[in-house]
Amino acid sequence: MKNADTSQFSKAIQEIKTLKKKNWSKRKKKEAWWGLLFVAPFIIGFLGFMLLPMLFSFYGSFTNYNITSQMDFIGLANFKRMFTQDELFTTSLYNTAYYVLFNVPLTAVGSVFLAVLLNRQIFGIRAFRTIFYLPAVLSGVAVYVLWMQLLSPSSGLVNTVLSWVGIDGPAWLFDPEWTKPALILMRLWSVGGSMLLYLATLQNVPKQLYESAEVDGAGFTRKFFHITLPLITPIIFYDIVTSTIGAFQIFQEAYVMTEGGTGGPSNSLLFYNLHMWNKAFVAFDMGYAMAMSMILFIIVLTLTFINLKLAPKWVNY
Amino acid sequence: MGTFEWKKYIKRGIMLSSIPLVLAACADDTESDTTSGEDPSANDTGDSGNGGEVAELEFWSFWGSGSRRETIEAIIEDFNSEHDNINVEHVYQPWGDIWTKALAAIAGGNAPDVIVQDINSVRQRAEAEQATNLEEYIEDESFSEKFYPQLWDTVLYEDEAYGVPFNTDTQVIFYNKDAFEEAGLDPENPPATWAELEDAARALDIESGDGYEQIGFYPRWNIGPDVWTLNADEGVSWFDDEGNVEINTPEKVAALEWMLEWQDYYGRDTINQYEAEFGSGVADPFISGLVAMRGQNLNYYVNLQENAPDDLDFGVFRLPEYEEGSGHWTWGGGFVLEIPENTDNPEESFEFIKYLTSTEVQERFGMNSFDIMANIEANENLTTHPELGERGLEMYQMAEKSLEKTVITPVPLTAPDYIPLVNTQIDAAFLGELTAQEALDAAQESVENLVEQNQ
Repeated sequence: MKNADTSQFSKAIQEIKTLKKKNWSKRKKKEAWWGLLFVAPFIIGFLGFMLLPMLFSFYGSFTNYNITSQMDFIGLANFKRMFTQDELFTTSLYNTAYYVLFNVPLTAVGSVFLAVLLNRQIFGIRAFRTIFYLPAVLSGVAVYVLWMQLLSPSSGLVNTVLSWVGIDGPAWLFDPEWTKPALILMRLWSVGGSMLLYLATLQNVPKQLYESAEVDGAGFTRKFFHITLPLITPIIFYDIVTSTIGAFQIFQEAYVMTEGGTGGPSNSLLFYNLHMWNKAFVAFDMGYAMAMSMILFIIVLTLTFINLKLAPKWVNY
Repeated sequence: MGTFEWKKYIKRGIMLSSIPLVLAACADDTESDTTSGEDPSANDTGDSGNGGEVAELEFWSFWGSGSRRETIEAIIEDFNSEHDNINVEHVYQPWGDIWTKALAAIAGGNAPDVIVQDINSVRQRAEAEQATNLEEYIEDESFSEKFYPQLWDTVLYEDEAYGVPFNTDTQVIFYNKDAFEEAGLDPENPPATWAELEDAARALDIESGDGYEQIGFYPRWNIGPDVWTLNADEGVSWFDDEGNVEINTPEKVAALEWMLEWQDYYGRDTINQYEAEFGSGVADPFISGLVAMRGQNLNYYVNLQENAPDDLDFGVFRLPEYEEGSGHWTWGGGFVLEIPENTDNPEESFEFIKYLTSTEVQERFGMNSFDIMANIEANENLTTHPELGERGLEMYQMAEKSLEKTVITPVPLTAPDYIPLVNTQIDAAFLGELTAQEALDAAQESVENLVEQNQ
């Protein structure tokens, strides 16, 4: 959405520039201004609600800002404290990295798999697609509470099903070793959003390719790895970039599932944003929280940059 | 595209975009119906009064439903009709975001006039200039004496008041009298020391197969290690009065060891399983009879009154003493009334606060909500109130007793977010990774480190 908006905006600007040069008709100029007017809500929103807060946050990260009474410049003290003194900073960074590392590839694989399954012409396929997409529509907190019950160690559905096949399920949200896997499992349930994206792309893969491959005697696996997968790499790339960014921002789940942001057993669910939230709104240490957000910004920016650099090696355009 | 079609699209667009406006208009109507719409006279009295200006006050609370909401709104109505120059409007904010919203409102300069705040963080807000210093409005020197001293202490920052205590709570143990009788224990003589508690629990345990049909008591349910250690350490919490970190004292280590023994006795898996079941809130283990003695806030009584079957015969006892004579120390929380910084009518706001914390109004609020009030006289009156049933009287009598040794633990300014640091070490002890001594030593060190960062 945002990308589309910005590109439209730059197109409009471009058009205005060329118009000036070529001294085109009044009508065309007017049209361009109308174009700008239509994208103005985004531009204003971006400047006022994104760029300005980001700049403020950048400045704030060098201060002892506490929201209401103080904002003195303290140089790099926040950053120094973060890397040398704050034990929970490391814990939260580790928890978040763990989550990103497992969540991103698993959801990508999961949604591609699901999309391939749902890309067949069988009876009732529309109903199946709706059913698998449904979890993505359900709203946050209700889903978390539902999963807390599903993951209940003795009476929860997950462990009950595991016990049918002879597995003695773990204590999930009560065992620090299992809290993060539990959360990743829960997130896997709602891969519907990206599944839909893959499904749309799969339907654009030209049928002739499969037909000719079949003539050459290719089976399902061959067709999948040599035709389907290469042709959907642009979407996989897009999905991985956006879901990495999203995964770094995990907050809600942990906040709800650990009763007000306490971080769960042994702080195993104390994610980066949760720690940041505690610093900002429990300790009123907003300057420090802003410094933390800057570090997160740099981490995400670097990863996205690496992703973009690596893309030509595996993405087929 | 022809002009005709354009018109059609524009018309549709206008119609569509007007929907949210209509919805918003409807929403506004219903909101004003529930908040102030019931009482049109409130505004009238103001207008027809002495011609002076009416101070419009916005009061934020999280009492959104049930008896608390009804009571507070009735109280506000009375206040408004008694005061020609003040009109209070009650605004309900959900529990989950009232204080974050308030913070944003204060920072943005459009704070409510009066707000119900957490008792444990008054000093923090005073220091950050989020709350108004009330000293100039408190004319009566004996004003503070109306409240329990430990509650009044929480509102003082550099010896000046920044809030007024409203209500409080205290942790006690509820027990099932029938289960006591079946186990051959005297239901009128509940445990008074930790050792007696342990003996009673063993007598009440009923095993069945791999699990339990009845669990006597498990100390970590609802009452945290912070409370048991405070009980053992004669009322000293993780921090002493001067703000020194007092986590790894011998008494606290012994208390944590004692809690670990309970876990060993029942088995960690058993505990986790039951915990997960009650955690979902589907079944109350005390009402269902699974747990014979259970730590709770005293206010749990309301819950029992509403949800327990009539034949559940229960009693309440104070947190037992660590050793005979060490004191029935326990912990409590509560709420205060504050005037955010930079509001227009602090004087009128304080008038309203004074009204809400007066003996009569406190008594009325307690009477309807079964909250333990901050006003000493109000609670005393409630212990003999003719309109309260036998059980209600019992509850306030227990409150009076338990409050004598109830400690409130405001967060220290030097370590406002210390809780995760302590909890992680205590969790490690319960997971068997650390001994009680190691865990509390590590927590002591972590919290000292945090204090150092904030000094």
